[in-house]
Amino acid sequence: MGQNLIRRIYLGGFLLLVFSLFYYQIVKGDYYLERARNNYVRIIPLESIRGTIFDKNSVPLAYDKASFNIAVVPYEIQDKKNYLFNELAGFSGYDANLLHSNYEKRKANIFSPVDIILDVDKMKALKIKEKFGEDILINPQPTRFYPYPYESAHILGYVKKAVSSFQSLKKYGYTPAERIGFGGIEQYYDAYLKGDNGGDLIEVDAEGKMVGFLGERLPQKGRDIYLTIDSRIQKYAYNAMGKKRGTIILLDSMKGEVLSLVSLPSFDPNDFIKGRNIKKLLAGDDKPLINRASQATYPLGSTFKPIVSVAALDSKKATPSTTFNCGGTFNLGMASFRCAHTHDQENLYDALIHSCNIYFYNLGLIIGSQTMARWAKKFGLDSDTEIDLPYERKGLVPSPLWKSKEFRTTWFKGDTVNFSIGQGFIEVTPLENLIAFNVFASGGYLIKPYILKKVDATDSTLSAKSYLGIPQDSLNAVREGLRGAVRKEDGTSYYLKKLNLKIAGKTGTAQTYGKSHGWFLGFFPYDDPKYTICTFLENCGSSFYAVKASYDFLKSLKEQELL
Amino acid sequence: MPFNILNVKSNPSKVIIICLLFLNILSLTILYSSLHQRGELKNQDIFYKQITWILISWLVLIIISFINYRLYLDFSYIFYILNLILLVAVYFFGKKTMGAQRWLSIFGFSFQPSELSKITTIFLLAKFFSSADRKYFIKGFIFPLVLILINALLIFKQPDLGTAVVLIILFLMVGVSSRIRKRCFIFLVGAGLFLLPFSGHFLKDYQKKRLIVFLNPNVDPLGAGYTIIQSKIAIGSGKLAGKGFLAGTQNQFNFLPERHTDFIFTIVAEEWGFLGSLFLLLIYWLIIKMILDRAKETRDPFARRLSIGICSYLFIHIFINIGMTLGILPVVGIPLIFLSYGGTNLVVSFLLVGIFFNICKNT
Repeated sequence: MGQNLIRRIYLGGFLLLVFSLFYYQIVKGDYYLERARNNYVRIIPLESIRGTIFDKNSVPLAYDKASFNIAVVPYEIQDKKNYLFNELAGFSGYDANLLHSNYEKRKANIFSPVDIILDVDKMKALKIKEKFGEDILINPQPTRFYPYPYESAHILGYVKKAVSSFQSLKKYGYTPAERIGFGGIEQYYDAYLKGDNGGDLIEVDAEGKMVGFLGERLPQKGRDIYLTIDSRIQKYAYNAMGKKRGTIILLDSMKGEVLSLVSLPSFDPNDFIKGRNIKKLLAGDDKPLINRASQATYPLGSTFKPIVSVAALDSKKATPSTTFNCGGTFNLGMASFRCAHTHDQENLYDALIHSCNIYFYNLGLIIGSQTMARWAKKFGLDSDTEIDLPYERKGLVPSPLWKSKEFRTTWFKGDTVNFSIGQGFIEVTPLENLIAFNVFASGGYLIKPYILKKVDATDSTLSAKSYLGIPQDSLNAVREGLRGAVRKEDGTSYYLKKLNLKIAGKTGTAQTYGKSHGWFLGFFPYDDPKYTICTFLENCGSSFYAVKASYDFLKSLKEQELL
Repeated sequence: MPFNILNVKSNPSKVIIICLLFLNILSLTILYSSLHQRGELKNQDIFYKQITWILISWLVLIIISFINYRLYLDFSYIFYILNLILLVAVYFFGKKTMGAQRWLSIFGFSFQPSELSKITTIFLLAKFFSSADRKYFIKGFIFPLVLILINALLIFKQPDLGTAVVLIILFLMVGVSSRIRKRCFIFLVGAGLFLLPFSGHFLKDYQKKRLIVFLNPNVDPLGAGYTIIQSKIAIGSGKLAGKGFLAGTQNQFNFLPERHTDFIFTIVAEEWGFLGSLFLLLIYWLIIKMILDRAKETRDPFARRLSIGICSYLFIHIFINIGMTLGILPVVGIPLIFLSYGGTNLVVSFLLVGIFFNICKNT
């Protein structure tokens, strides 16, 4: 039985295949040939709805809303296009030429609806539909909307059609017509936000008439994400900046959550959706599209001094009680370096409070440029903070070797002197500087900043930190100086004392081409730090303006009980 | 009968060699066609790779045909265990491609251990069903079933539903041919019915989707259903005589995804029509018939089961693959033997034929 049975099974299988082939190729052959010859299957794409971006309190910062477009199907209006467009233009108050140009620009194939009037009011759309009936259709399209455009533009980014950079996106499965996030969270988490596109598969005849509906796939909405950002804090940060250029960042000192991040000048991401003012944005001299917190580097000035202090204490070449005399000027060979005041005898504590340049010139020369560079790197000043925003830039930490490679000249003592007060070649992003300064708030940890809190209901696991191994007494010596700068009447940040927030901080006036940049870095409350702030103002003249902006910002947060 | 070309009992090896050479040429021709789009040859390296694989396969066949097949009886457990180790290794170190972890890289040479497990399964089945133990329910039926289920489960987890199904059908076919007892069948049917409600639980989303799409291709016309719709259009439109070499429009205009691997049969059917497809099936049938006839003649029960395992392997691949392109079976991702692009499957198939050649020599 066995072998004959198996032979019968084989034979039965082969016969089944032969019969099926006969059925498809001989009996239904003409039917399928017809379908193959004219490529009778068309896909009419349906775009998915993007996920919503919420702030930490579930306030929507970016979401899709339906915009109503008036569309025509080319196939159905072939013979009456001009007449219809003129009528439509007359009825709706649009220019007929605009309708024609929209039509030509957007036409894809003769079945897909072409939007000729964009984003009309719902009531108006219904009236047009009532008047023109079957000739037109209302095409609701998901359109991205940003309710807090200027405050959050740099965090969120915007969306655009993938077609502009289609060549590089093709391999990830994008189609030219779909939307893709660009810049900010929209780009960084595009995979979560975008969802799955759907479409109708229809069958058409040789003339292109639809003869059958083969099936559909409904588009799948993208996932919602929640940020660590508080949109209220964001608003006060934006207001505190006024018309100045720069950035304010507020960080949760221990967790690394970014509570607010503004960059000015800003822009309205809705402009990119609507396609207005784009040329102006791209051409602007003040570069509004750059995120000044993470995409631009600046000299960090005196805010480098706490790091030099740690380097000096670690090298054992100085102690907190090491004293230098400040006579107002410092001579090195032919050159002369200045201090803002004449401070006389100063120890580390005094020098941090007064931000005495001459003290740090001396300290820098004792420990040397290599040691300072090593510690600057340890504090992350030449590496990405790995924040979840695209196109982050890295700072530059110079060294004698670097200089000889770059400029083919040797490193002078003058370079070391400049380096010791954060001038010369060193450049960092405000975000890097904030994270470095946060080491003093967190008790010696380099903490990774992040913006994504949750995807749907799943918590993100972005929180990360590394211990730098600075002895606690060195850390405390510097921390005391930072606290003194706010607490003491002659401290550089005394202006902030009246906030009563127990702030410890460091100012910086960084010289550059044109007017100086102003920095303020701080953390509070001093005993148990919860917040770390970085205020940076581009070419504002002096650090005082940064202190003032920080004051205004924190004052409103305190008044609104947001801290 | 001077015109009876099928009367070649005296030397099945020669007939099979001619069939294989024919299939090699056909495979390259179709591959060439599948890479040809709108008059342009794309991905030429695939074509040259396949030529290399064909040469390697013949080398393997020749070497294997010199190795006495009785060796596989003695070593069947060792081969089984070695393969099991490889499968576990894939589980931990395997390369991920397109969501599935099937490939293992050794010395820069990647292959799929799941293909090798088809060979070890055939050895194991031949050993069990040819021994006297096959009269016993536990020793001769349940034990080999469990061994093969372990294999199938590991492969299913990769996930590779197709190969797992192949292993189980192999078990059934070699079992059927060895006249296993009736109560074994009752047990199998009972167990199958019992497990059926749970199957949905084990399947991955995309596998479930494929099964649903198989029942109604129109539910997901842009995804899995699209392939079946396009495949049917391509096959049907070939009609009696086909559209001719490089003239298949569905193929040439890039409507068919995966057309040089799992859906290669659609190109045969579209470009060479019903007659061409029929001729291809005849060639396949001839190979299977040669092996089956020989199996009947041989007196060594191990050689007989081994031969039946080999031709069942061929049959399963042919039937499931062509069945799925025709939409009469679900898409489970099984290549068409000797024709589809891909090295491991080709080498394994040739290796099995090599074993059969040795059986011919030694019995």
